[in-house]
Amino acid sequence: MKKVTLLIVAIVTVFSCSEPSEIATYEPVILDVQVPSNFPDIVYNLDNNQVTEAGFELGKDLFYEGKLSSNNAIACAFCHEQAFAFTHHGHNLSHGVNGGVGFRNAQPIQNLAYQTSFMWDGAASHLDLQPIIPLTSEVEMGETLSNVISKLEADSYYQEQFARAFEGGEVNTENMLKALSQFMIMMVSSNSKYDKYVRNEDNITFTQLESDGLNTFQNKCATCHATDLFTDQSFRNNGLSINPQLNDLGRYDILENTEDLYKFKVPSLRNVEVTYPYMHDGRFATLEVVLDFYDSAVVDNGNVDDELLRADGSYGITLSDYEKESLIAFLQTLTDYEFLEDERFAEF
Amino acid sequence: MKLLKYTFALLACAILTNCSTDNDDNEENLSGQSGDLILKFDNSVGDQDFIFGTTYSKSNSETFQLSNLKYIISNVRVTDNEGNTFYYPEEENVFIVSESNGNNAGEIYVTLNDVDAANYTQITFGIGIDQDRFALGADGQGDFLELASEEGMMWSWASGYKFVRFDGTFSTPSVTDEPLNVHMGSVGTSLDNYKEVTLNFPNTVLVREDSSPEVHIVADISKVFDGVMTANFADGYDQVHTDATETPIIATNIQSMFEVHHIHND
Repeated sequence: MKKVTLLIVAIVTVFSCSEPSEIATYEPVILDVQVPSNFPDIVYNLDNNQVTEAGFELGKDLFYEGKLSSNNAIACAFCHEQAFAFTHHGHNLSHGVNGGVGFRNAQPIQNLAYQTSFMWDGAASHLDLQPIIPLTSEVEMGETLSNVISKLEADSYYQEQFARAFEGGEVNTENMLKALSQFMIMMVSSNSKYDKYVRNEDNITFTQLESDGLNTFQNKCATCHATDLFTDQSFRNNGLSINPQLNDLGRYDILENTEDLYKFKVPSLRNVEVTYPYMHDGRFATLEVVLDFYDSAVVDNGNVDDELLRADGSYGITLSDYEKESLIAFLQTLTDYEFLEDERFAEF
Repeated sequence: MKLLKYTFALLACAILTNCSTDNDDNEENLSGQSGDLILKFDNSVGDQDFIFGTTYSKSNSETFQLSNLKYIISNVRVTDNEGNTFYYPEEENVFIVSESNGNNAGEIYVTLNDVDAANYTQITFGIGIDQDRFALGADGQGDFLELASEEGMMWSWASGYKFVRFDGTFSTPSVTDEPLNVHMGSVGTSLDNYKEVTLNFPNTVLVREDSSPEVHIVADISKVFDGVMTANFADGYDQVHTDATETPIIATNIQSMFEVHHIHND
């Protein structure tokens, strides 16, 4: 009898001991998602994925984690560098694992919780599911979801971080994607000179050149680059000549609808000063070249947006030299140094 | 030691009492009981069993053979003879029916656990992923995203599910053994091809704590091309991906391919 009792006591002790040994527990600290007063409504449904401190930190770890790629070296951050609003500095097209070269220019990561679609062609319509595309693309990270999960599962650091970030703490795709979204949701760029000017903060004023640029912008650019996100989130063909080597059909690839030929998502212009090169294939290195293109180099590739149709039947946006100069001065007011230097998003 | 004996005696009594009450209630009252319900998907082509690599004829003098045959089933629910509907828990309510996972008879089992005990007369399920589920993003998907990705049921160039995936070759009077790829799905919110099907059971399905009935569902693959509408390879239905005209036709045809062949109550 004594032996049995001892055994029971021993078993009870062993079981109760095993619990406190798991130090990492889910104790959510909710983070406030910033909604700037000059922004349209947030699109991302936070009810399904509330941002927590531990979820955000895990998302950041994953964003900078090479294990998400097949050669364990290409992290998301490889093509999305903070100093350039999370674009791939100096690359018109990015390269991935095994010497693969992508087809399009890496887009900035900012204000994504306000976007209705992602990628140049809108291939992703939910932020959570977007990372699957680069992660599994052969020319980007070349991995499979299950393999990434196995690598993370085998890593005691990630076991602990998942346990902190999610109830149940399972290392699985759902939680990995949710963590990446939490990190990206927090990446809000809304403190440029322009933002402070329109919100009447810090006594910020525009120079004459910047004011004239804003005026020209509102008259000639804001139909497509609408709202303070600087995109109406539509897909448009802006009349770029077709690069036969890439023969990128744009949005057409998604729905195989001929009306979508050569259409790409209107990009946000926030931090545009640092996100060069420009256009879906990064063909233009400077803003000057971009404006010259709209003024005089738009070609009729058969499906150009009506907004670009001029009275004389040609396509483009007529801009004087002064308008170009002032537009660039205005576009430079969209650079958000607080965002570009925000330590919350930095690797180290 | 005596105490132990008494404890055992008490325990024995408790167990006996429990059992006897259960037995008494079993005749009419099923509340609180649950059991497994097994759906057996059996792909066919007309009156033939579907077999990989076998050539099947369709209309328009065209033939096809497949090396890959998969589809997604979701939102399964069953309705009983009193009109009550049991929804399988949402998070687990999505399955990939893959011919390659079939047994020797080519039957693919989908087991629904803990279904409320009742006398069921009807089943409804969706083919693919509905817009509400898609809008959840990663939430509530658990490992399904991973599974779908592994099974090749997600687009690689866009984030969305392929609802059905038929890969193989086709021949027409003018071409021989050309690639056949029918990957039909929704594309974000722009193109919604999710469809549901409701089937009556030929006899009542009795789900009980101690019996796991099997519902044998035959899916006639020939209907994909010769269903409500005709889809000829010669007219471009050899490569179906996201085309807004072609995919709804395939989706509608697939909706009509399911039939409950028979039920096993045991």
